[in-house]
Formats: sequence, C-alpha cells, structure tokens
Amino acid sequence: MTDLTPICALGAEAPQQARFGALHLAENPGLGLASLALRRGQSAAEPALPDLVLPGPGGWAGTAGLAAFWTGPDMWMIEGPGQAEADFAAQVKAWAPGASVTEQTDAWAVIEIASSAGAAPLEALLARLVNIDLAGFGPGRAMRTGLEHLSVFVIRRAEDRVAVLAMRSAAETVWHALTTVARRQERGGP
Amino acid sequence: MTRLAGGLIDRSRVLNFTFNGRSYAGHPGDTLASALLANGVRLMGRSFKYHRPRGVVAAGSEEPNALVTLRDGARAEPNTRATGVELFEGLTARSQNHVGPLGFDMLAVNDLLSPFFAAGFYYKTFMWPRAFWEKLYEPAIRRAAGLGALSMQADPDAYEKGFLHCDLLVIGAGPAGLAAALTAARAGARVILADEDFRLGGRLLAESHLLNEAPARQWVAGLEAEFASLPNLRVMRRTTVWGAFDHGVYGAVERVSDHLPTPGEAPRQTLWRITAKRAVLAAGATERHIPFAMNDRPGIMLAGALRAYANRWAACPAKRVAIFTNNDDGHRTALDLAAKGVEIAGVIDPRPDAKPLGPYPVYAGSVVTDTRGRLGLSAIAVTREGQTQWLDAGALGVSGGWNPNVHLASHQRGRPVWDDAQQAFLPGAGIPGQIVAGAAAGKGSTHAALHSGAEAARAALQDLGLTAHLPDLPRAEDGAAPPHPIWHVPGKKRAWVDFQNDVTVKDIKLAHQENLRPVEHLKRWTTLGMATDQGKTANVTAIAVMAELTGQSIAQTGTTIYRPPYTPVSLAVLGGGDTGAHFRPRRLTPSHSWAKAQGAVFVEVGPWLRAQYFPRPGETHWRQAVDREVLATRAGVGLCDVTTLGKVDVQGADAGIFLDRLYANAMASLKVGMVRYGLMLREDGHAYDDGTCARLAEDHYIVTTTTAQAGPVYRHMEFARQCLWPELDVQLISTTDAWAQVSVAGPHARKLLERVVDGFDLSNAAFPFMGCAALTVCGGLRARLFRISFSGELAYELAVPARYGAALMARLVEVGKDLGATPYGTEALGVLRIEKGHAAGNELNGQTTAQMLGMGRMVSAKKDAIGTVMTRREGLMAETRVLVGLQPVDAAQPVTAGAHLFTEGAAQGTATDQGWISSACYSPHLGSMIGLGFLADGAARMGEVILAANPLQRQEVRLRVTSPHFIDPEGGRLRD
Repeated sequence: MTDLTPICALGAEAPQQARFGALHLAENPGLGLASLALRRGQSAAEPALPDLVLPGPGGWAGTAGLAAFWTGPDMWMIEGPGQAEADFAAQVKAWAPGASVTEQTDAWAVIEIASSAGAAPLEALLARLVNIDLAGFGPGRAMRTGLEHLSVFVIRRAEDRVAVLAMRSAAETVWHALTTVARRQERGGP
Repeated sequence: MTRLAGGLIDRSRVLNFTFNGRSYAGHPGDTLASALLANGVRLMGRSFKYHRPRGVVAAGSEEPNALVTLRDGARAEPNTRATGVELFEGLTARSQNHVGPLGFDMLAVNDLLSPFFAAGFYYKTFMWPRAFWEKLYEPAIRRAAGLGALSMQADPDAYEKGFLHCDLLVIGAGPAGLAAALTAARAGARVILADEDFRLGGRLLAESHLLNEAPARQWVAGLEAEFASLPNLRVMRRTTVWGAFDHGVYGAVERVSDHLPTPGEAPRQTLWRITAKRAVLAAGATERHIPFAMNDRPGIMLAGALRAYANRWAACPAKRVAIFTNNDDGHRTALDLAAKGVEIAGVIDPRPDAKPLGPYPVYAGSVVTDTRGRLGLSAIAVTREGQTQWLDAGALGVSGGWNPNVHLASHQRGRPVWDDAQQAFLPGAGIPGQIVAGAAAGKGSTHAALHSGAEAARAALQDLGLTAHLPDLPRAEDGAAPPHPIWHVPGKKRAWVDFQNDVTVKDIKLAHQENLRPVEHLKRWTTLGMATDQGKTANVTAIAVMAELTGQSIAQTGTTIYRPPYTPVSLAVLGGGDTGAHFRPRRLTPSHSWAKAQGAVFVEVGPWLRAQYFPRPGETHWRQAVDREVLATRAGVGLCDVTTLGKVDVQGADAGIFLDRLYANAMASLKVGMVRYGLMLREDGHAYDDGTCARLAEDHYIVTTTTAQAGPVYRHMEFARQCLWPELDVQLISTTDAWAQVSVAGPHARKLLERVVDGFDLSNAAFPFMGCAALTVCGGLRARLFRISFSGELAYELAVPARYGAALMARLVEVGKDLGATPYGTEALGVLRIEKGHAAGNELNGQTTAQMLGMGRMVSAKKDAIGTVMTRREGLMAETRVLVGLQPVDAAQPVTAGAHLFTEGAAQGTATDQGWISSACYSPHLGSMIGLGFLADGAARMGEVILAANPLQRQEVRLRVTSPHFIDPEGGRLRD
C-alpha cells in the first residue's frame, strides 16, 4: 500500500458534496473504471463479467458491485464501485482476457446526483445542462453528450439518481456548471 | 390621461415608472408603450436618419419606432421595443437618437437636409478621399444616425441555456396556436406552446369579438385552466421562438426576469434549444400600413394596434381619432373605439362604395394626403377626387391589410409565395416537419384560425402515428375580405415605407430610376428592411411600390426572405451565461493544487492551466525564476508536470500495422519495452504532430501527442480506425486524464528516481535510453516509466494514477532536496527544448515538412503511411528551408520569434525572404537570446551572419546561423 495521499478530482482529499433543495451532488472518488473493447470478431458474450450482461447501445446495466455502460460499438465502460484504489483494469482483464482493457479510473471525475423528490428536480436540472430527450432516458440509460462544452457521460442509475462522468481535469468546470444550475433551481424554482 | 374603461390591466395596483426622467403611473398588464399612451405620451423617439419625431406604430414585436433604452447603469439596454416591455414598479426608460431633449433634437437639422440623404447618398458621397471614410465620415455618420448606446459596463445578470424535446412545438398562442396545443395535448402528445407575449391569447386579447357569445378572454381562461392540468403540455410565456434550424431544432429565448426590476437569483433570460418532431407555426400576421405624405407623425399607428391598445390596455393616444383603411378590418377599429367613447373623426376608405359599420362618418373613395403636427398628429388632409379637406385628429389608425408572419417558415430559404386572392405573401415550401396555421397561413378570421390550428395539430400527430380528435371549438367571427389593392398614396412630400430605417417611397423610386430593381438590390441600396425589425411593417409594401414602378406584378417582383432571429436576441443569452472565468472549460493538471500551494504562476495553454514558473522569494522578474529553473535542471534535477500531453492507449492484434500507417516512421518494428519518437504527417505531406510511441506489449502501445493537438490527433486516429481501415483489429481510448505524468530531467534524475521506485533496476543496462516499463513506486503504487527526454538531459517521465499526481510531485521534491530537485514550469520547459533544438508547436505549425524539421529521413521509404507519398511532391522536395539555430552576433541583442530572415545587404521583401524565426528565448546556458528558425539552404549556411528583420517596424538584428542543438549536440547526456 502506497504512503502517498491521493486527492479527489476537485482537488481536495475529501470528496466534494453539496445539497440544493431536493438535489444532492457528490463526487464519487471510489468508482473503479475500466474500458472494455472487443477484439475484432470477438463476441459480446465472451467477457465473463460476474452477474453482468453487457448492455446494448445507450444502455447501462449492473448490480451494486459491478456495472457497465455502452460507450460505442463493441465498447463499454465497466464500473467497479469502491474499486478505485485497486487495479480494477487488471481485474476486468482477468474476466475478459481476450478483450482490450484500459484503466480509466482517474480519467473521469464522477459526480453522483440524487433527488429526494423524485424525477422532476433531476430532470429539470438535466434539461439545463445536456441535450438529452428525457422521455427516452429512464433508469438503465447512459449517453455520451456535451455539457458545458465538454464531452461527458450521463448515466440514469434510477428514477431519482444520475451520474455525470466528465474528464477529470475539467472536474472544476463541470462542478461549477452543475452547482450553478442546481442552486438557481433551488432558489428560483425550475 | 387617455385611459379608457375596461382592458386587461389590474387597476387595483399602480406601477410607477419614468420616461426621460418624468414620472408616470401604469398598471400590471401594461406594456411601456400602452402605459405611455395612457399617460398621453405620443412622442417616444427620433428616427434613424432624419431625426423625425416618432411615436409607437404597433402593439407587438414588429414595432419599428418606439425603441427605448431600458433601465439604468450596467443594466441599461438600448433598442428595446416599448411594445414588448412589461411594466414593473420603478421602470426607467429613455428615448434614443437625439441631441438635446426629445422634443427639440439638434440633429433634426438632418430632416431639413433630407434631399441630400436619399438612398445611396453615402455610397455616392463619401467616396473621396478614401482615407476619410474610416477616420471622419463613418464616425460622424454613426454618431448622427443610429440607435441607442451600450452602457459599456459588464452585464451584471446571469443567463442560461437549456434543452427541450417534444412531439409538437406550437409557436404562437393566438387562436390557431391555442387550438393546436389543445388538440395535441388532449391526444397525449408531448407539447410545448410558446408565445412571446406574457399572456396567452394573441390577437384574441386585442379584439372585442365574442367566442360562443362570451368575451374571448373567458375561453382563453378556461383553456389555461385545462393546460395547467396537462402534464404533457409545457406552456412557455414570454418565450420567443426566433429561429428554425435543421432537424426540427428551434431556438427560443425565454425572458425569465425581464419583467422584474432585477432578476435576483434567477437568470435574466434562458436560451432554449427545442428539438421538436413536428411544429405548428401559428405566428399570426402583421398589419401593413399605407404610405402617404408625412405619414410618420406620432399618433399615426396601425389600425389594429390602435384597437389592441383600446381593447386590451384601455389606452388611446388621443380623444379624437381617424382611420385610414382599404379593408373592413380598419372599420372594426372605428367600431371598437367608438364603443369605448372615443370620438371618431372619420374613416377614410379609398373604396368608392365603402359604408360605415357603425355610428361614425365614412369618407368613401378618399385617401389621406397630408398631415400636420410637429411633435404629434393634429390634423389630416382627406382628399377625394382632387378636393381636399382637413380633419382634426390626434391619432390616425392605418390599415392596408395583413401580412402573414411567414418568417419562421422562411428560415431554411423557403420563399413566400404571392397570393392574389388574399393580396398577401403566404408561406412557400417551408420547413420539414413544420405546418403553418392560422393568420400566418392566410387564415386570418378567428373561425379559420381556430380550425386550421386544430387541423394542423391533428395532421402533425397523425404523421407521428398518434391519433388526435378535433376539439369542440367555439363559434367565432369568420369575416375576412381581402383589402382593396392600394399600396401607397402618391404625393410630392415624403411618404415613409420603412419607419425604422427612414426609407420613403421616393427612395424606392430612386432605386428604380438607378436600375436597382430586383428586391435584393432594392433592399441593399435603400437599406429597406435592414433595421432591427427586419422590415416587418415595410417589406411587402415596398415590394408593391416597386412592382407598380416596374409595371410588373407583385408575384413577378418577388420577395426577400427572412433569416433568424425573428426578433433581436441578446448576445448575452446566445452565450448561454458563459462569462469571465467560466467563459470556456478549464482543465487543471493533477498537480495543480500542489503547484498553487508552491506559489506557481499559471498560464493558459489551450484549455489547460499550467504552471508557467515557480517564483521564489526575492525573485522580482519572471526571468530570474525561469533561468534558475533551467540551470537547476541542467545541473541537478528538474520536475515538470507534463500530464497535458495527449495519451492514447492503442491495443489489438493489428496495433503495430495501424501505427505504421499513421506515423511516417516505422512503429511495428519497435521492441516491447521500448519507446520511439514518432512523426505524423497530414494527408498533404506536411508535418501534423509529433510525440512518442511506447510499446508495452505485443498488442499494446501508448501514443503521446502534443498538448495542443491531443484532441485532433485522437480524432484523426479514430477516423483512421473507423473509416480508413475498419478491417484492422485496433482499439483506442484516451488516457490523458487517467495518468499524472511527471518529467524528471537532469543529471541527478536517476538518483532521484531510485529513491521512489520499488526495487526497479534503473541502471543504463537494465533500463536504457528510450526504455519503458510498468512498475510500482512509493510502496506499491502502480506506475509507468518512460526514459525519454525533451530537455536533452538524462530524463524520465513517470506516470501514476492522476489522483496521486500532486502527492508524487511533493514526494519527489522532498526526497530530492539534496539533489537540487526543482519544479519547473512551461517557460523553463520551452527554454530547455529550444536549447536542445527540439521542435514544438511553433515549428509544427502546419506549414512545415519533415524535411524542413530536419527529419526527412524519418519518412520511411519502406512502407506507406498517411502523407508519405505527398512528401515526394516536387514542391515539397524543392523546399530548402530547414530548421537552424540562431544566435545574435551582439549577445545583448534580442532574437524575436516571428521576425523574417534576410541576407545582409539584400532588399527586404517577400521575394528575398529567406525564412523566419519560429521560437526564441533567453538561454542562461549561452548567456544570450537564442532562436530556432527555418532558413533557406540552412544546412549549408552554418556560421553565416544573416539579418532578422521586421520591416514594418524597421528593426534589424544580426544573427549567426548555428546548429539547432545548442546543448549537447551529440546526445551523450540522454544516454548517460
């Protein structure tokens, strides 16, 4: 175990979090991430991820311990909650030895957004941030889209929960965008 | 006071406001224009060119005249249409475009000089002398002619953007739009109903018609209640849909807080991008006027506007009013005003058989031929068969028929089509997915508008596979006879067509006389329709006048089309609120927080913020810090965060073949555990980007790119993978942000690294120059080590997961104290690489080739790669300019990047240009400035003295040509 002290994407040792009315935003530094891309001719059924069937285009699927979302043809991001400090990519590679696996944990700042008042405040927030048709963006959907001039992934984990993955170096910009809209929503109402 | 009874204003509350410093009172529900009229104010501004006194003409967003500067201080907003401003307590407004008081404008002298200001005057007059235009004529003209002025202060308000999606977007909430929204929303479709007004109802609010024998507002109120109960319908008031773009995308601005004194926490406006599967355009129609002599006096308005002010806002500009109309609709104004107790001086109707519809005098077969009243209308001249009589009137309502608002059907070049029966331009081939309904489609009676709106929604939903039923619509009036075709009243005096740009019938005649007859020429020569109102009240009339002059039909004359925005949109809202530090995304390096704590000075490098240098106490000039960092690196060991360089993970059985085709030099032959410098070319054979390529396994490479080109190169690689060679087994993903990468450079680099690696053999034999390996550091942290050098020193780049970047920097500095471990920034990085003669962005500027960079032999002849064949073009082969080093003969002289190189004694011009200086810096190692540059026949001119010149500023410096490698040209240090 290294004696170096890691910091979160927003620059502090502890993850940032903030509450705005019904919305709670929190940095999730514990999420292990690894990309998984099939080799040419390889079947999507081949990677033996425990209790996980790789989802189709626009999909996110998983359990509390392991999840995946589609990022492109024959390509997924595998999520390992709580696996950020482990060599998660090596673990995924062990499950899918024939595929191309790349460590992505620190490539992304992960911000989890939860609503205590159902989908409405969450969807009002998203409408001011990303060009996603929310009618087709229920639980189990994931999209790559633009947010604040950046390319991000947005995952609908549940009716009342969304995750935004943005390039780690731009964490501050994305946090500012999210909290600005959330704060306005709290004070002004959507 | 000219306030009438009734209206949709809340008389229980009083709102105080000022106009030109005078205090007035109005009520909630008023606009600034209606409140001013109700207070007896007719004069609201001065015209653009002639500084003529002007008053409000319209009641909606088409208003050409009543432009005011709203609010004070930093919030002052020029050119705001008084007709669209909702009154609020404490509102302040000022009129524009006058010197001295509004009632006595010094620049009104322009009106006396009007014969000189005809169309084309500027084009013809201010031609000579040429230099006078920019310095004298233009500033003077701009001061005299124009609109309001900006506050020149930063906008204190917030703006935001958002995205909406729907099955049906209904644009306009008049009878057609309301019926469309009702039909679609009841069918369960996702509907957005947007209207620029703050109240739903559109023209229904301005009329006295009954719907089902009750006032229309009752029907609207019932609908509003139903709308509120429908979760699938979003009603957006104060929202102007201003543009129709590709793929069903509409731009809309919601004026969230414009009706409040200050926005508070809320944004001032929101820019919505609405993606609609279908749209119903129910934008209504704009009344046209009939130009006659001196038709621009305050008090002369559109008849429909006069009626709207009376019915909706209980305001009338005068106690005695006349109407000039060529159609029945004008008579309605007379009826409604008379019903409200306004004295009707007469209805002047050019139709010989015109009959009164109520108790008011009609002047049939007559026209208005002149007016009186300096700052407001006092009398009109009515002429019938050559006999003229004057009628006293404080206001005149003019109606020449109605022009459908086809603008949003035109935004993709759909040209409106003239309809003789309706005497109007109707929407032509419009926009895919958009149906035009109601008055915008020429169905202007209330009955027709309601039914066409409902039918449009039903048809749109049917297209989407949804079944909608037509609702029970209220009984409504259905009278709409086309106007009598009279387009202007001929006369000797000026008759305005375009009020906002001061274009008269005479100007159109002049354009005709000078053969600028096609509508596009007419528009540009006279500036007709080119004001902020896009000629909403002027264009069609002007076309008709031109048609009359040319003897062609209006259909043959044709029309110009419209571009977004439908009404002016503020740049602030288009920016979507991105201002100041948040104007664009900012990327921070993994060691940013650490560098900040060290007092680093940062510099923007594209989106990145990088440490530029790390000043120490006592250092008063940036050069002191940079020189120290450079010397410390060359003497001991320097540390630099180089995370910003792009990193692309390349895997797959064909990764080697793929990279061989991308890079000019060979990569498939690279041994596992080794790194190679690589050069990518563009298709045209010029150098594109450089970097390193490390092979971690047979089927696994890591490519690095320059910081600036990280995005484009990754895109280029994806394009090659997906489109050029989809048959190859290659997988790509960016890992730029995943790893913090630190350059450890200097003679003590190995010694320092030995203190952090976990038992990894760093000896030259085990880990030679250009080696790479996966390893662990600092007690088990996974890491990657590359023995590469940008500085020319013994150097490594160490990568760890980004979250450890700051801690790693701190650790290296701490454990390397005795070795002189010194963090350095981008300035020192630049000096180190210029001293070493390494190319960077300045050299890879898109104009240089491998040969020019001294890397011609890297372009492998044994294989093909992107750009290889094109490097053999004659033009590129004949290029003799190559990268050289440059040192001033007099060490005190500067070397300036961007300067051009000339032979001493030769003329200085493009024909004799010998090259240019691409990079320059002060080299503490050499004790002078040095530079890199491209020089013709450079390789053969070592030792020659040339001139670096800046002929524009008459600067010349003598430079000696040297090798670009000022430091360790043999490369011994790298391999130490």
